[in-house]
Amino acid sequence: MSEDMVRVHKLRKCYGSTVAVKDVSFSVQKGEIFALLGPNGSGKTTTLESLEGIRHPDEGTLEVAGIDPVRQFRKLRDKIGVQLQTSALPAAMTVDEAMRFFGSYHGVAPRFDLIDRLGLSEKRRTQYGKLSVGLQRRLALAVAVSHDPAVVFLDEPTAGLDVQSRTDLHSLVHELREQGSTIILATHDMAEAEKLADRAAILLRGEIAAIGSPRQLTAAGDGRTRISISTEKGLLLAESRQFPDAAVQGRRDEYTLYLSDNPGRSVSAMLAWLEEAGDPLVDLRVERPSLEERFLEITATGSGRKS
Amino acid sequence: MNAYMHHFAYDFKTGVRERGKLLMYYLFPLVFFILVGSLMTGVNPGFKQVLLPAMLLFGYMCPTLQLFPNMLVGSREEGVFRSYRINGVPAASIISIPVLSAGLHMVVLSVVISIAGVQIFGGAAPTNAGGFILAGLLSYLSYAGVGVLIGIASGSTTVATLVCQIIYIPSIILGGLMVPLSLMPPALQRVAALLPATHCMRLFAWLGTTGGTPAWGSLAALTAGIVVSFALAALLFEWDTRSSAPSRKAWLSLLAAAPFVVMAIGGL
Repeated sequence: MSEDMVRVHKLRKCYGSTVAVKDVSFSVQKGEIFALLGPNGSGKTTTLESLEGIRHPDEGTLEVAGIDPVRQFRKLRDKIGVQLQTSALPAAMTVDEAMRFFGSYHGVAPRFDLIDRLGLSEKRRTQYGKLSVGLQRRLALAVAVSHDPAVVFLDEPTAGLDVQSRTDLHSLVHELREQGSTIILATHDMAEAEKLADRAAILLRGEIAAIGSPRQLTAAGDGRTRISISTEKGLLLAESRQFPDAAVQGRRDEYTLYLSDNPGRSVSAMLAWLEEAGDPLVDLRVERPSLEERFLEITATGSGRKS
Repeated sequence: MNAYMHHFAYDFKTGVRERGKLLMYYLFPLVFFILVGSLMTGVNPGFKQVLLPAMLLFGYMCPTLQLFPNMLVGSREEGVFRSYRINGVPAASIISIPVLSAGLHMVVLSVVISIAGVQIFGGAAPTNAGGFILAGLLSYLSYAGVGVLIGIASGSTTVATLVCQIIYIPSIILGGLMVPLSLMPPALQRVAALLPATHCMRLFAWLGTTGGTPAWGSLAALTAGIVVSFALAALLFEWDTRSSAPSRKAWLSLLAAAPFVVMAIGGL
């Protein structure tokens, strides 16, 4: 049976009269990558910071690696690794010094291999204040995972990173998971969540609007598959031709767009019709709805069906 | 090496690497010392009696009032404290390590000023070295407590800078560094009694000189001030700007002035 590394039960947190998080409950299993998604102000960071022991919830119970973050904060610190959204290291601290400094507080030897792994080997003697934003975030990540934490919290880990840095970070996240770490990340980036996460929760105004695997989340929405088709003569464009189980969604450039409940049947019918009409196929794309589309659907309607 | 010592070693090292720290630990105090030592001892030979204590005290005020407060406010605002917190750096280390590492730099500065003051500018050497060192230690800790408390209690660097200047400038003018306290009118002497510098200078005169006039009141005020300011700094410490209420803190931190208010009311 899988072990829950994180348990959140009816978490509630208010700032003055503003309810930031309202009765949020979920659990994350050992070795799982769990994403918290949501627009700004949806409660992602408050949820994360409550789990990290930085914020004290007004109501509800939390457990991280078998530890209560509120009552056992000191014990928690060596069990978790945290990359905060808004944090910094001292400007004069070099990359090497940061690894030694925080390693000493966690009681572990500095992990200089992480410096190499995250592409910071050329900057080992560079001060934090002189690093680019991307390199600062890489260093923060190296510090966060240098003591092999059981649970890693990443708040917007790829914000401000270039493509190569994002790819490196994604592969590091997978490596951490393979080594047995549980990872919880808050992100605005739906493609990132879809690529990395085993499960995700979409938060909306402090509540969970939908939760499940990216596939479950997308399936719980409109669920129809998009078919984009382009032909030499453009007969589909001209006739707005209808096919079984497919509805014309519109046109974009030289493509006719359909939404289909049964993409196999619709595509077969389209190809057969084009063959008969003598209009050779140029391009055909069949795409299932993305997590981003589902996210936009939920944020637009204000609710989602929980999977 | 344990974490505390590692942290201390790092912080001490930055004292010669960071320009801001280097300026306040050494450059500014030494340039001022050379200027004052050259000018004042020529214009007023009596100044030689207080050259060493005055210049040491000025040196201690530079990092404690001009560096600590903004360094603490800045670290909190930038999220350095948040990084510290989640990685297990205790608040006690954040408060104590800058005081200790700057203190070690102040030892170096004190040795330089003491030797150069006597040898180059003819300053009066202390006749009781142990007492002189004790007076120096209490003086440094007194201003370190004030600086740390201002940094902890201030909601912004603007407020911190303003409060520091309110203490710093009168300390130099009225604290007995430039003008002997005995030459001031009684009303100004009462105002001067509100400043730690006044009591530091009295302590140097008492403890640093064999047979000096006892100043038990100043010793008590400085000791109480050190204890209260560091205790309040620990009590009011916040990891995060968002969770603080600066106005409440500001009022509470005024308690650190209580020992000096008592001295001002009671008379020196």
